[in-house]
Amino acid sequence: MLPADRFDKEGFLRDLDDWEPSVAQQIAAGEGIELTQAHWELLNLLRDYYAEFDSSPAMRALVKYCAVKLGKEKGRSIYLMSLFPGSPAKLGSKIAGLPKPENCL
Amino acid sequence: MVLHTLNASPNSAAFRDCLAAIAPGDALLLLGDGVYCVRGATPACEAILRCGAQLYALDKDARAAGIIATPDTVTITDMTGFVALTARYPRQLAWY
Amino acid sequence: MSVTVTGKKTLVVIRHTPYGSSLARAALDAAMAMAAFEQAIDILFLGDGVLHLMPDQDSAAIGVNNVGKLLASLPLYDIDSVYVDAASAAKYRIATYDTPIAGQFLDQAQIQQLLSRNDHLLGF
Repeated sequence: MLPADRFDKEGFLRDLDDWEPSVAQQIAAGEGIELTQAHWELLNLLRDYYAEFDSSPAMRALVKYCAVKLGKEKGRSIYLMSLFPGSPAKLGSKIAGLPKPENCL
Repeated sequence: MVLHTLNASPNSAAFRDCLAAIAPGDALLLLGDGVYCVRGATPACEAILRCGAQLYALDKDARAAGIIATPDTVTITDMTGFVALTARYPRQLAWY
Repeated sequence: MSVTVTGKKTLVVIRHTPYGSSLARAALDAAMAMAAFEQAIDILFLGDGVLHLMPDQDSAAIGVNNVGKLLASLPLYDIDSVYVDAASAAKYRIATYDTPIAGQFLDQAQIQQLLSRNDHLLGF
């Protein structure tokens, strides 16, 4: 378990290098989410996005990126909402160990 | 038609970029450091007079800077005049 | 190009260097935030702003985001029209084929037309 002081007040990792799969499970558990294969597919996609664009996506960009990388069926906000309820880009980024998306107002 | 506002001295990239972007029918309002662009008989002033825009300078800023004698084609205006210009021109772009 | 409720288009004009101040990042944040809310956004890189389009940027060591990489994500925000001041690009030897995102290179007259064609202008 990563101690609480490794997270900021919104629960995002202060140091992105602290992230590993067990940390993702820890953050997800705190949000009441049990990670399934579908979740992992999206978490990996978010980490790919961050590596490619040096930023966390806003919802609009995430939906489009999913459509490009995973196909049209998954590139829909309702699919993302079903996995990461509320604000999928923000919650997904948090669990994937990425910074909070800038354009998530 | 665009209302350009320039708040930078003639020795700046903003000045050059702004002059290059002005089209006939535009207006140019000088404020802050931009008022130095209409110090009479300077190369910058010559360039401004040739740019084809309606020219305005903000009175208080010009006075503060010591810009007292400006070419006749430059209209000295106040904040109320500035507001009227923003109403007359549908688009506005700030250069600084 | 996306259609907004009002149908109005905004052109974000970026004139400053990417790493010299916080202005550039503010400009891109504004553009992307507006696009995230389905506003129709185009971007014009003008003057020193063309330095955003330098190839091979690597900002990791100065602790800020890589602007080149960030630009590559603009199509995902449906910002599809990126315009570049061709004269300034030439001054810095920035070639059309070498930029992090494809842009349309414009001469002075085309830039003037672009400015008068958009409903809103936002200068940074």
